[in-house]
Amino acid sequence: MPASKKKTVKSKTDQIGLPDETMLGLFSNLLKTRLLDERFRKLYRQGRFAGTYFSAVGQEATTVGPTYGLRDEDLIAPSHREIGASVTKGVPLDKIAGQIYARESSPDKGKSHPCHYGWKAKGVIAPSSTLAGQTVIGTGCAMGFQIQKRDNVVLAFFGEGATARGGWHEALNYAGIYKLPIVYICQNNLWAESVPASLAAAITDFSDRAKAYGFPGVTIDGNNVFTTHKTAVEAIDRARKGDGPTLIECKTYRWYGHSEIDPADYRTSQELEEWKSRDPIKFAEKTLMDLGLLTTAKLEALVEQFNQEIDEAIDAVDKDKYADPEEAYNDVYSEQFPVRRVDW
Amino acid sequence: MKKTTFIEAITEALDEEMARDERVFLIGEDIGIYGGVFKATKGLLDKYGAARVIDSPISEVYIAGGSVGAAMVGLRPVPEIQFADFITPSMDQIIQQMAKLRYRSGGQWTCPMTMRVCCGADIGGGLYHSQTNEQWFFSQPGLIVVMPSTPYDAKGLLKSAIRGDDPVIYFEHKRLYRWIKEEIPEDDFTVPIGKAALRKEGSDVTLVAYGLMYHRSMEAALALEKDGISAEVIDMRTILPWDREMILESVKKTSKAVLVQESSKTGGVMAEISATIMEEVFDYLDAPVTRVCGLDVPAVPFAPPMEHYFLPNAEKISKAVKKIIEY
Repeated sequence: MPASKKKTVKSKTDQIGLPDETMLGLFSNLLKTRLLDERFRKLYRQGRFAGTYFSAVGQEATTVGPTYGLRDEDLIAPSHREIGASVTKGVPLDKIAGQIYARESSPDKGKSHPCHYGWKAKGVIAPSSTLAGQTVIGTGCAMGFQIQKRDNVVLAFFGEGATARGGWHEALNYAGIYKLPIVYICQNNLWAESVPASLAAAITDFSDRAKAYGFPGVTIDGNNVFTTHKTAVEAIDRARKGDGPTLIECKTYRWYGHSEIDPADYRTSQELEEWKSRDPIKFAEKTLMDLGLLTTAKLEALVEQFNQEIDEAIDAVDKDKYADPEEAYNDVYSEQFPVRRVDW
Repeated sequence: MKKTTFIEAITEALDEEMARDERVFLIGEDIGIYGGVFKATKGLLDKYGAARVIDSPISEVYIAGGSVGAAMVGLRPVPEIQFADFITPSMDQIIQQMAKLRYRSGGQWTCPMTMRVCCGADIGGGLYHSQTNEQWFFSQPGLIVVMPSTPYDAKGLLKSAIRGDDPVIYFEHKRLYRWIKEEIPEDDFTVPIGKAALRKEGSDVTLVAYGLMYHRSMEAALALEKDGISAEVIDMRTILPWDREMILESVKKTSKAVLVQESSKTGGVMAEISATIMEEVFDYLDAPVTRVCGLDVPAVPFAPPMEHYFLPNAEKISKAVKKIIEY
């Protein structure tokens, strides 16, 4: 029995084709992202921060897999559900929590919006709320890299709904012409807020859109982090070598509403339960356990470690004060053009 | 010294800035092989190559947003919008990305780019090749908006815009391209952003304008001189942020203001300047602040008599001045 088990293990590792360290790294980032995300949901319900919160629970593998292994200088062009990309890129947790809490220590000093994570030191672009907005400027970053002859790449994330926007098409069209170093990652979670994918496009596989722009498009299981990682690595290598973009469609699902104020009653509980049974974290966990790379004890230790890191980050931003409201006047222009203060 | 046209001044500024700083590159429709529909980028493709003079597809969203991205990674993009009328698809990128990037990132990311936009009527361009729409951008803090009226300023302001660290919408009035010529220095020079120019001193009334309307205001001022009315003429040059000090000081001196703008009157730049004059120097005024503007219709109509009826000119400006002088 032990011998045959070992044999099975080996063949499965071969099948996945990733080093143990990478598989553990992917899982750790998935787990940390999930714990952080669920914590933010709880804190929002406790009224600990203003606005709303856009949970990415259920679709973590679409961001963690592709982001894992990127260089600091490579860029993430996110939307609002890419907490996993920030975690995996190594953005400090107190900076991620800072963005949520909008305190003085937040990367934007409290100006933008919860979930608009941006941290330049780790190459995460501060996003706007305009969907596919960062697809356009992210493509511009890739154009910049090409002009500068740098071998960096951009990962642009968006949902299937955003692919209906004109700017998205202009960006991909341009990237195809110039073979820009960018990988487009479509997180097809079947719902654009309340609008089903079937009302967003007349196609089922959104990767088909790549055909129109002259570069490869692939559709993959977005809940399998090993698949999202491997597919992205291949695309990233292509992009880095100057062979141009790839559109990767990750089929996935968000467990909760568009934001915490959305009860998501436009979809059936049957659909939700079916997707919950395909939990990307549980899947990765089971795979690692089957391979003998993870034990219950090790998992518990990881959970404890991450929860402690999260506690510390939340504690820090919770104690932080809001910036002086006059901060509103800063970062409008360079110092050359100070903004006029009002008299009252 | 040879005389340089307005458009030659623009080409020279682009050429010199590209030679000076390899981070500067151009992108736009028909700007490479064709040299631009007005030839503002003529010769630059041959000199700097296709990586720095990019013929883009017809994609104004991308021309704007792509430039924002390139600026973010350290380049100095100078995108061209062929006609101001066609800037509308870019609005999302200009308003949400270009203007807000620095703010929304707490200053982590900046957007040093200069978007050249060809605007203006009085050339028989019709409804979709004649618009001046600087007022759309004037109401968006985070943007710098300039509109030069002379070759010297066209060159000096374009250089300042390219060298600066802020996103600039640089309006070029196409009526001025080959009409206005002047001798300009061969040595490198810049014109500061945010400073208006006092073109003519006067004591009876202050005329404020920019772009083509500066020239119409000056024509009016010279005509009024013959009638014994002394008009001071201010060319704003930069529309956002505008030179409050010069305009308010002038109005304090003359106690009267006529504000001239080519675009439609309602919600325009001069509405804000008028309101500011009222707020800041009301006690000095001897007559109502008066605006001479384009008509409140959707755009500049095509038929020549209708186009001229739409536009402010020296005669209309003089009439407005005389009306408030008699107030």
